[in-house]
Amino acid sequence: MNLNKLAFNNIRRRKLRSILTMLGIIIGVATIVVLVGTTAGATTALKDETNEYMYDIIISPSVSSGSYMMDPETVSQVYKLSNIYDIKETSTFQEYIGTEIVTVVGTQDWKSVEIKKGSPGVVVDQSIADKGYGIGSKITIKDQELTVTGIVDADSTPVYVDQSVAKKIVDGKVSAISAQTKGDPKTVAQDVRKQVEGITVETKSQKVAEVQEMTNKSLLFAGIIASIALLVGIISVINTMLISVMERTKELGILKAIGFTNWEIKGSVLFESGLLGFIGSVLGVILGVLGSIAVANMLEFTEYLPMMTPWWLIIGSIVGATLLCVLAGLYPAMRASKLNVVEALRNE
Amino acid sequence: MNNYILEFKDVWKTYHMGEEKINALAGLNLGLENGSFTAVMGPSGSGKSTFLHVAGILDMPDQGVFRINGKETSKLSVKEQARLRRDEIGFIFQRFNLMSQLTALENVMLPMLNEDSSKAREILDRMGLQGKYDKRPSQLSGGEQQRVAIARALINEPSIILADEPTGELDSKNAHSIMKVLRDLNQEDGVSIVVVTHNPTSAQVADHIIHMGDGQIVNGNYIS
Repeated sequence: MNLNKLAFNNIRRRKLRSILTMLGIIIGVATIVVLVGTTAGATTALKDETNEYMYDIIISPSVSSGSYMMDPETVSQVYKLSNIYDIKETSTFQEYIGTEIVTVVGTQDWKSVEIKKGSPGVVVDQSIADKGYGIGSKITIKDQELTVTGIVDADSTPVYVDQSVAKKIVDGKVSAISAQTKGDPKTVAQDVRKQVEGITVETKSQKVAEVQEMTNKSLLFAGIIASIALLVGIISVINTMLISVMERTKELGILKAIGFTNWEIKGSVLFESGLLGFIGSVLGVILGVLGSIAVANMLEFTEYLPMMTPWWLIIGSIVGATLLCVLAGLYPAMRASKLNVVEALRNE
Repeated sequence: MNNYILEFKDVWKTYHMGEEKINALAGLNLGLENGSFTAVMGPSGSGKSTFLHVAGILDMPDQGVFRINGKETSKLSVKEQARLRRDEIGFIFQRFNLMSQLTALENVMLPMLNEDSSKAREILDRMGLQGKYDKRPSQLSGGEQQRVAIARALINEPSIILADEPTGELDSKNAHSIMKVLRDLNQEDGVSIVVVTHNPTSAQVADHIIHMGDGQIVNGNYIS
């Protein structure tokens, strides 16, 4: 008979003890899932919120060029550069709407525009809307007649239009280009300055870099704290397996007497501790995901729930905790296989 | 070439109890033939248990040569010893030593390599335990438990059965029927049997009786 069957039996036979032991694993794994998951979700949220700063370099016209916009030639030169990617541009300019001067912003990223009402297209501030430019009404920008499609929640008084529209209005000129760099942003920035004339290149501000760095650190920190919780659970597995081996001294002696090898006996102890770990971590992941859902609801964060429960976290927690529990069984397994049969059989 | 299932040649086994040395086996010489049924008797401390432990490869001699079926056990690896216990030897203990959490059938199947239960059922039937396959040891009488233990000892078709006081925990009626089962196994299947016992009535069932004292044979089959 396969000794692994006995391992199942042992866990079932001592229900309370198995449950208490698994509780350590369950709490440890659930803590990891909730803490690491929430931090991962929060990191994604933060990155989304600060998306407009998520560039490595930003290219704008130099003061010496005498213009606040880059001409189409310069722009196409930038697009030809091979060491930058994820290029985003905006054409931003001032315009009179009635008597008021407003900023018209061309955007390629409607997600970062907080539309209060209506849909993307031509989006105006509430104060402009109140002056007779509500949704559906016509608005004229530099001789172009556009239809207002939405209202934005903003502090300043901007008009958001699609970048393609904005670019056409200003004859293909662009105010700023942001991009990610291949390699160190500072080196790439210098390279860009050399290759394209009439522009200034700035790298991502130190502050933004620090914030990003901090979110990465907090992810690590949450992981460490949660791992301590799991460690406590693992120690309880070592303890339980040692007690279990000592209690079963006679049983193990019988198994040896009827011909099981030391390796088979070692294997069954390892299997039993691994099984405790597997069941415990699966239950822990379930509890952890429920916990993450609760946290997401509490923080009104539900759209980030998929980021809070990523597959790498779920699979990693189960595989990791199970392997650690198998390791925890090593010493008890060695004790079991080294038992003297004659003495073990005398044990009552 | 002799036909010994068990062969002891000047076997010594010494235990240390603090300062004191106890020679549990003191130059034991003994040869038991294949197919024999032997009872080993003797007072406590005469070396009977140690004799059985060495015979069952649960313990190794300190000195001398012990062979089972011609194989010298001290020359085998720990794994080979375990395999030999599984394939060649069936143990029967005074306290039955069944797994309390397993059913009668599962206990019998424990040493098996496959999960085919038909053979285990067959042996349990032969032991008169029809319909008790799914009973746990605590639901069986002492005599029934010992029959399950015998079935477990038989499952891998051993060449020898070693029994340590198999009737020690049983009343005389059950003791007699267990000895009869062993008797039948010896006669019908040709399994060699060694029974260590205090009980003269049980010992009478065997073909011959060896008396031990001070780690040696007092009378019985010597190797010259």
